[in-house]
Order: sequence, then structure tokens, then C-alpha cells
Amino acid sequence: MAASSATPLSESLEDYLEAIFWIVKEKQAARAKDISDRLKVARSSVTGALRALAERNLINYVPYDVITLTRHGQSTAEKIVRRHEVLRDFLIKVLSVEEKEADKAACRMEHAVTNEIIERFVAFAEFIDRCPRANASWLQSFGYHCEHEKSANGCEKCLESTLENVRDQSMTSSSETTETTTLDEVKCGEKASIVRISGSGSIRRRLLDMGATNGTIIEVERVAPLGDPIELKIKGYHLSLRKEEAKRIIVQPI
Amino acid sequence: MPNLLREDEKSTSSSDSSTHQLTVALAGNPNSGKTTIFNLITGARQHVGNYPGVTVEEVRGVCKFGQTRMDVIDLPGTYSLTAYSAEELVARQVLTEGKPDVVVDIVDASNLNRNLYLAIQIMELQLPMVLAFNMSDVAASQGLKFDLDMLQQRLGLKIVPMVGNKGTGKDDLLSAVTETTRQAETATGSLPNYGEEIERELVELQKAVEESALLTDLPPRWIAIKLLEGDSDIREKLAHTELADLADKAAQRLESELGDNPEALLADRRYGFINGVCREAVQSTVESRRRVSDRIDAVVVSRILGLPIFLGLMYLVFQLTFTLGGPPMEWIEAAFGWLAVTIGGLWPTGSESLLRSLLLDGIIGGVGGVLVFLPNILFLFLAIAILEDSGYMARAAFLMDRLMHKIGMHGKSFVPMLIGFGCSVPAIMATRTLESRKDRLVTMLVVPLMSCGARLPIYALIIPAFFPSKWHGPMLWIIYLIGIALAVFCAWFLKKTVLRGETPPFVMELPPYRLPTLRSVLTHMWNRSSAYLKKAGTIILGISILLWAMQQWPGLSATQVGEFETMRTAIATDSSLDESFRDLRLEEIDFAEAEATLQSSLMGRVGSVLEPVLKPCGFDWKISTAMVGAFAAKEVFVSQMGIVYSLGEEQDEESEPLREKLQANYTELQGFCIMLFCLISAPCMATIAVTKRESNSWMWALLQLAGLTFLAWVVTTAVYQAGQLIT
Repeated sequence: MAASSATPLSESLEDYLEAIFWIVKEKQAARAKDISDRLKVARSSVTGALRALAERNLINYVPYDVITLTRHGQSTAEKIVRRHEVLRDFLIKVLSVEEKEADKAACRMEHAVTNEIIERFVAFAEFIDRCPRANASWLQSFGYHCEHEKSANGCEKCLESTLENVRDQSMTSSSETTETTTLDEVKCGEKASIVRISGSGSIRRRLLDMGATNGTIIEVERVAPLGDPIELKIKGYHLSLRKEEAKRIIVQPI
Repeated sequence: MPNLLREDEKSTSSSDSSTHQLTVALAGNPNSGKTTIFNLITGARQHVGNYPGVTVEEVRGVCKFGQTRMDVIDLPGTYSLTAYSAEELVARQVLTEGKPDVVVDIVDASNLNRNLYLAIQIMELQLPMVLAFNMSDVAASQGLKFDLDMLQQRLGLKIVPMVGNKGTGKDDLLSAVTETTRQAETATGSLPNYGEEIERELVELQKAVEESALLTDLPPRWIAIKLLEGDSDIREKLAHTELADLADKAAQRLESELGDNPEALLADRRYGFINGVCREAVQSTVESRRRVSDRIDAVVVSRILGLPIFLGLMYLVFQLTFTLGGPPMEWIEAAFGWLAVTIGGLWPTGSESLLRSLLLDGIIGGVGGVLVFLPNILFLFLAIAILEDSGYMARAAFLMDRLMHKIGMHGKSFVPMLIGFGCSVPAIMATRTLESRKDRLVTMLVVPLMSCGARLPIYALIIPAFFPSKWHGPMLWIIYLIGIALAVFCAWFLKKTVLRGETPPFVMELPPYRLPTLRSVLTHMWNRSSAYLKKAGTIILGISILLWAMQQWPGLSATQVGEFETMRTAIATDSSLDESFRDLRLEEIDFAEAEATLQSSLMGRVGSVLEPVLKPCGFDWKISTAMVGAFAAKEVFVSQMGIVYSLGEEQDEESEPLREKLQANYTELQGFCIMLFCLISAPCMATIAVTKRESNSWMWALLQLAGLTFLAWVVTTAVYQAGQLIT
């Protein structure tokens, strides 16, 4: 394993590995034909690449049999995929690049960017999210700026409202940096404020309709005698939820 | 009631003059007291419950106010107008397609924020609306003060404070309704603003919607909002891929800009808007403290006492049903006995009149046998009504969810199943509170195993006949428990096989406890009991007569009758026999003739055909014959047994109580097996019909019928065969 990871994978081999990763995820195992179809390359070149990958102990490959990833191959592929996704998200969310274009660019960038730089991209996106000076609406005005004429109107107003928001936030939650947890972890009698509801679907919609919007304060009242649904107090009324559903509510204990 | 009728007549007679006709829709959250207000303004007898979503059907009533005749629709209670559950869909359909002239949104004033959320969505539909601030007395006692003028101005609506269960505010509400329609145009300036980014997308979408010229009877802005929320119902109705694509793109943009999806953002902004309004117009003078309801909950759903209290309450319900129901049962029994004797006395003794037989055996026997159990049923429904109206039902679901979830069901399924103890028909209708179709189907299919009120007559007949009095209560408890256990098993089985699927979320409000008002509980009890009575009056009477006819025809042939006659004359003229022995022999011949008549009758033939099938369950042809009747409606079993036996003992004018006859003819084990079979086998035809209606498929209804009958046969056979080995 040490020998194989010493020499970095070539760009095209990374693409092959990534393709196999997605095919395996979809169909449990890949065939040479799937790979050639996906990457739009000739069958003959696939065979060569597969041999190279097998030599590096990344895939289990015997001619005419299905192809699967080795454990090492799996983790390598996951790293490549993550690089791709981070880059793609950054292009879309931060730079307001259109989705298709972002996908294409990320495909090519992922080979050139080192892991350290990838982590910086992640950190920067998080920083923008958190920093009051460069929050989501700041990014949005950047997107607007890219599409429309450039002007510097309203800077003063924007800064003022930013300051106001910062003051508001420090008023409502004294310690912004406390780590979040899920609602099922909150003990009886304790309060927490909703950060977000993960996932989607009917439960999220129902919770939103019933007032469990971001920032709402929830108090865990009790657990049912049999240990499952929990009773909450929210907006002055009582609501019951199963623990597995409470797990999807990310909260910040108060 | 007579008052209502007169008003109806008046309005029809004066319809040519200046009478207005209005359609008014009542909307509101569950537990906002909507149904109470509906009853208040229409005077209709309607079910009032405190469990979220008791009103599942669209209920209409008529109300006359001044020159205006209002057609009032009671919408199901909903928290929102998203197409999340069947109830929300119904409410939304009435509002968007029914186009009511005025919407009255009943708002629980003591829980204003959440209740206004629905109001805002109705406002966005741009329908003329009046807000009724219900339970304003509760709100006042909680120290809430409303600046109604400011609220009215901010929301652009008329607001009427009310106390539904005390009847205050009715006239104010009705006059506000008539005024609102007169003004007709809605205030749209008071709708919430969703903020720059969202508004920008909404304007774009709205433009696209207007250009598409689809669903023009709905406000384009509302359609745009729903599109952005990803509402599947509106997308289906529009069936316009470009609009859907536009909405998806807009949603994506918003998500990347604002870091959350539009659904959450819109809900967030709406609540923000409400908070803003309330901050200005609502004052809380008292620190929020632990309310009475919280203190009750601290005991009633507590870790240690919760389950014992629940089980105790359930046991109490059944004990009450029997101890309190006992004396009135005896009175009714006596009354019917007197009636039978009086009517029977109109004919000369020994008369063979068909009409007399029809009246005594068919009608009085049949209906009387069912009416006798009305007190039991009234008390059972009374208990259920109190549990529902007080708010305990939701706690029951809370307590039971873990258990129900284990067998793949929702805690809410518990409530229909509990109502199933009263009657399967409303229970199956109550499954509409369940959001997932699969859950609904499972509940519907197993509900009949919860022993319904119509089976009570059978137990009440059989238990005292075979078991000592100290065993009466426990025996009944055992029968009910068997039903519950089988329901659990069947639910688990169905969930594992035909109806596999994920259980939907358990997001349920626990409404504050309320002291049920006498009126509401009684209406509630009466509605359900009268449904039972109607069944007794119509279906059961019809079946009684049908079964009576089935026993009368085709009768014995002339030669057979002649044979019995010659035997009789032979004995009567045989002077070697002494008087008493001769009478005994004559009686035996009469028995034999009656038996032969019944066996050759239609019903006897059906029973005989079934006898070999039901023999392994320990049933003879008489029980089989009665089971044929019970197939149509469970309570018929009792009257059926009565008829079967009164025929067999026709000579005996002083008909002994049925119980003694059962005791003489069957063993304890057979008695138990009768109860078991009645408990498990397919419920009445009405249940099957309701299942068909609610599941919208004959397949499920027939599956229910066949499955339950088969299960009944298997279990009863097993018990009977095993029981015979032991004894």
C-alpha cells in the first residue's frame, strides 16, 4: 500500500477511479462497458487503465469479470469525490457559477488542487457563512453584482444593518460559538434553540408549519413512560415527537 | 331542533325577497374549538373532540342571520394549507375550488402565534375573512391582552372575540361575516413581505404564472408561493414543466443565497411577520407560569404513573359500562317482556297466526334484543367522549406510540383503535387523521378486532350464562385483551407483508386539558349512540324480519305435517297411557316438528351447509345459523339465537330467558368459542362498506372480510380442539 500511494495517480486514472466509484455505488459492481460509456472512451483504453488501477491495489480486476473497489480504492475514490464536491459547491455557492459549468470546471480542478488547498476552500466557505461582514446576503449581492451593472450604492446602509444584526445576535444568544447538538440529546427540563432541521420531507414541513422555525426556543418537557416520544414545549404549546425525529433537529443548548 | 326547521322554512318561503345566500367556510387549527362554534351558529348536532383532527369530514350546516341565509361548511382542523395530510388537502380544496363567500378562521386566542399562521395562508388566497378569537376567556386568564384595533388594522381583517363553549360572541361574528361580504374586496396590503430576495423571485414567478394563464381563479402570487415551496399538489394541477423548472431554479438560487431552502425560509418569514404583529398588539401581563394543564400532565403522563393511570382508566371505562349500564338494561328487558305479553294477548291462545309470530318473534324479539344493550353502549360512548373532549386521547397516543411504533404503526392509530371499542364504523373514519395511506390501511383492517359495542350484547348474553359472577369482569377483560393481541399481531403481520413501508413522523400536538362541557359530551355520546340505534332500527329490523321469513319458509310438506298429525292422534287416542305421560309425549312430538320445520327452512339449510365447516369450532347448526345473521351485523346474533330457540320451544308460552337455554345446551368451552368467533370474525356489513369507501377499493374491503373470517375460524378451532383435550 505504501508503494502504491507513493506515486500520485494520474489525472485520467483519477477519473477512472471516480467513475468506478459512482458505478459501484449505483450497481454494486462495474463492467468495463459501463466505464467506457460513462467516460466516453474506447474499450481498449479502459482495459489499460483498469490494469494500472489493479496494479496499485485500488480495484479488484480480472478480465471479463465485474470490477469492485478495494478498501484502499474506496477511500482514495472518496477523497477524489470530496474534492470534486467541495470545489463544485464553492463555485456554485460562493462564486455564483452556473451548475453545469461549475461541475465541468470542478472536474478539471480536482486533479490540480492539493488536499490542503481543498481544506482552505472549505474553511473559507464556512468563514463567509459565519462572519457577519460576509454572510449569505453578502454572497447574494455578489451574485447580483456579477449579473448586473456594478455600483457601490447602499454600502453605508449595508454596514449599518450588519452591525445591527451583530448586536441582535449577541443579544439573543450570548455565546454564538457553543457547539450544536441534536434535540434528542437535550435533557428533560432544558431549553435549546433550533439551528436548523436537517433532511426534507413531510416531517420538516409539518414542524415548520407548527412553528419550529430557526431560532425558535424549544423546551424538552418529558419522555413518555415507554421511553419514546418526547414532549416539547414550543411557542407556548405542547408537541410530541419521536426521538428519531428529534435527532434531525439541530439545536443549540441554552 | 324545531326552531331550526322553522328557520329553514322561512328562508325558503322568502327566498324571492331580499334574502342573501352566503357560503361560509369555518377554518382553524385542530383544538381551536372550531366545531363548538360550528354547533353554536348552526345548532347542528355535531361531533366535538379535543383530539387533533377529530373532524375529518366536511360537515355542513345552515344558519340564518337577519336577511342572510348562510351555508356553513366546517373544514377539518389544519395547521397549514400545505398538502401534507388528507385533512389539509380537503380544507385546501374547499377554499380554492369551493370559493366560499367568507372564510371564518377560528383562532385559539391563547395560542395566537401558531393559529395566525393558518390565517396568513388563507389571507394569501385572498378570500374575504373574519377572525374569531375563540377562548378569549382562557387567553384573558393567562394574562393576555389584545389590542384588537391594531390587530385588525395590521391584518386588514375583522376580529371578533368569542367564547365558543359559553356561547358568547355569536351575533358579533355573524354580523361581521355579513359586513365582510358586503365589502367584498380583500385587503391585500397587509400580507407578509418575504424579504427582498424571496420577493424578487416571487415577482418573477408570479409573472410567469400570469403569462401561462393557468389556474386563473387562484391568486397568481399564491401559486408562485406554493411553487416556490415545492408544493406537489399545485405542480400536478399546473402540469407545466417550464413553471416547475423556473420554480426549481428560483429555489436553488434562494438556497445558495440564503443558506436554507425556500420552504423553511417562507415559514420563517411568516412566523416573523406574525411575531412582529403580536409584539405590537399583544400584551402579556402575567409571567408565563406552570398552567393547570402542565400540572396535570406532570402526573398523568409521568414516567411512573403514566401507564398505570392509562390502564386503570381503560379498565374503569369497562367497569362503568357494565355496573352503570346494568339497571337500565333490566328496565328495558322488562318493558319488552310486557310488550310481548300485551301484544301476544291480542290473539287467542294457541293461535298459529303468522302476523303474531312476525310481531313477537321477528320484530319485538329482534329489536328488543338489541335495544336492551343500548345503556351499555351509551355509557361506553360517554366514557370515550369524556376522554376525547378532555384532551386525554392525545396523551393516550403519546403514551402508546412506542408500543404502536414497535408493530410499525403510529401512536395516532391508537385512537381509531380505541374508538373501535365503541364502533368500527366511526373508528375507520377516524383513521383519516393518519397521514400515510399504508398506516391508514393497516389501522382500518385491524380496527374490527377491537371488540366493538355491537359485540357487547353477545358477551353480555354469554358470560353470565356460563361463568360465575366474580368472573364476569375478568372474562370480559380477557376477551378484549385477546382482540387487542390479535390486532397487534395482524398489524405487525400486515406491516411485514402486504403493507410494508416507512412509518410517518409522529408530530402531534398535546392540547391543553379542558373540562369537557356537559353539552358537548352529551351531543357526542348521542351522535354515536343514535348511529347505533339507527342501525338497530333499520338494518337489524330488516334482517330480523328476513331471518324470521327464512325460518318460516318453505315449511314442511303436507305429508310430513300429516305424519306428525297421525302420531299425535295415535298418542291422544291411546288410552293405555296415563294423562301426564301422554302430555309429555305430545310435547316431544311438537319439539320434533318444530325442529324439522326449522331444519327444512331456508335458514336451517344454510346453517346445515355451514355446520360441517364450523363443527371444528364447536358449533352446531343452530349457532351456525345465528352466525349467518351475525355476519350481517354482530348484534343480530343475540336476537337470532332468541328466534332459533323460541321456535324450538314453541309450546312453552312462558319462554325462559335465552341464557338458561344456552346453559342447558352448550358447555362453557362452546360459550367461550362463540364469543371468540364473534370477536374475530368479519364485522358488520356496514364496516366492510366503510372500509371500501375509505380505502376506495373493494379489494381491501374483501380482504378484510375474508381475512377476518379465516382468522376467526383458525383461532376458534384451535381453542376448541385444545380445550377439548384438556377437559
